Amino acid sequence: MADSAPRSSRVWTRAVVAPAARRAAPVWIGVGIVGGVVFGPTGMAPRDLTGLALAVPSVGLGLVATWALLFLPAARVVVRADAARYLRALPEPRWPAVAIGGAALVILQLPWLALWVLGAGLVGMLVFALVTGLVIGLALIRARPPRVGALRWRGPFAALFGIYVRALRRRASDALIRAVGLAVLAGICAGLFARNNELAPREASVLAAAVIAVVLTPGWAGALLPLVEAHRDSAWLARTHGISEQARVGVLAAGAVAIYVATSVLAAIAASIVMPDAAAWLVPVVVAIGAGLGLGVTRALVRAERSQATSMRAVVGVIVATAIAVVALGALGATAVIAVLAIGAFAVGTA
Amino acid sequence: MICTIERLCVRRGGRPVVDGFELAVDRGEVVGIVGKNGCGKSTLLMAIAGVLAPTEGRVVIGGASVWGGARERLRARTALGYVPEAADPPGFLLAGELWAMCAASRGTEAPAPSLIDALGLDELRELAIERMSLGQRRRACLGAALLGPPQLLVLDEPDNGLDARRSDALVELVRAHAAAGHAAIIATHDRALLERTGARIVAFS
Repeated sequence: MADSAPRSSRVWTRAVVAPAARRAAPVWIGVGIVGGVVFGPTGMAPRDLTGLALAVPSVGLGLVATWALLFLPAARVVVRADAARYLRALPEPRWPAVAIGGAALVILQLPWLALWVLGAGLVGMLVFALVTGLVIGLALIRARPPRVGALRWRGPFAALFGIYVRALRRRASDALIRAVGLAVLAGICAGLFARNNELAPREASVLAAAVIAVVLTPGWAGALLPLVEAHRDSAWLARTHGISEQARVGVLAAGAVAIYVATSVLAAIAASIVMPDAAAWLVPVVVAIGAGLGLGVTRALVRAERSQATSMRAVVGVIVATAIAVVALGALGATAVIAVLAIGAFAVGTA
Repeated sequence: MICTIERLCVRRGGRPVVDGFELAVDRGEVVGIVGKNGCGKSTLLMAIAGVLAPTEGRVVIGGASVWGGARERLRARTALGYVPEAADPPGFLLAGELWAMCAASRGTEAPAPSLIDALGLDELRELAIERMSLGQRRRACLGAALLGPPQLLVLDEPDNGLDARRSDALVELVRAHAAAGHAAIIATHDRALLERTGARIVAFS
């Protein structure tokens, strides 16, 4: 037993902590980019932000809510530990698993812990503990199992679209929560970045759109993977029911554009709060770039479906699409909106 | 004829798996496709069911080509119900949602009470496919394939994972389907199942 306890701890770590770390990785990347902008050489110090959060309740609540949204998907994996449920059947104490889980919850939140400890010392540690407790509580809440009810679709296309929506709801809920958190972060980061450069509204919106596209890329990739898996898994069903490949691609494009546009709208709203003067330019530019990216990335998703390495191809496609949009924004300014939409429409039309 | 297959050729991974296959299935007929493991029975059924495009040849169901123009394709597929060997629709779907999708594409209603009774579909309605056993998945897929009902059933190893009671029900359903003037093509290693359904056996190699 003395021998098997550490072995089962290693299994627990591999089954629970490793997947949680993979979920936290995009959050760390996004937070790293935002942290670079906010706490850069000419930016704020951690104590400025934590002081503001403690003094102004709306800022504090906004900060806590954003972190809770970002970290919840990773916390769920650790707190529920569904992947290691079978280990409970072994005649071993549970405390090693609890200790590893607790340590993982702290380590995976290191950027958040660093902000509060560096910014507010002991009070910061208390805030960290309270927010961690809140996140654990939220992670324990399980959604009710879905029900069919009196479901009736009005034709094969509506049915296929309904299937994709269900794939997003049931398979991508964590990724969507994380994307929402990243969208808020991306918007704030883009707003601060553009405001610090004291640009005119049109130029500020171009810079903000590029920053939002870069910060949101991990969020988009995470949300699109379940969509492309649903696209692949439903292929035989769609084909045997006479749904053409073009219709399948159309439904996939609708799903991808919906994800890109919804998160872009959120990011644009967050950026507009930081930089209200540029809102009239910011919202249309950011949302149109999002729509163009959603169309363009559909082609990569279709290719990914046909590939053996579906996930890798999809992620590479998301990154390449973002890179093209950023280069276009840099080269063409606000006119890039038309170019990105045109490239997106061409890409999906020839997918 | 409900189904005619002419000079069907399918290549997979660059090699011919189905080479010049021909078959005619009449009304009221059950055809059993038999052959050794890996000989291409499932590939053949995928091509008949409109899942895998043949490199040559034609599959006609209810007078419409499965691989013809858009309208013809739709008409042919409305006339067929298919259960793949793996019985693997998207795992996140509930069985009731799978039936709703199949009903929507065939322009028909939810499973009839007799079908629900025979396959025990009620207990599966609110269950996600990924939480089902192989036998339950097979029953859910059979329920979906029989909606309508279609003129032609294309069943790949349909009794895999079914218990004795549901296996008996499957035999009765296939026999009743044929007796109603429809037809079925079944690929299986289970000779007893083919004998009980009164199938005409076609060796495939």
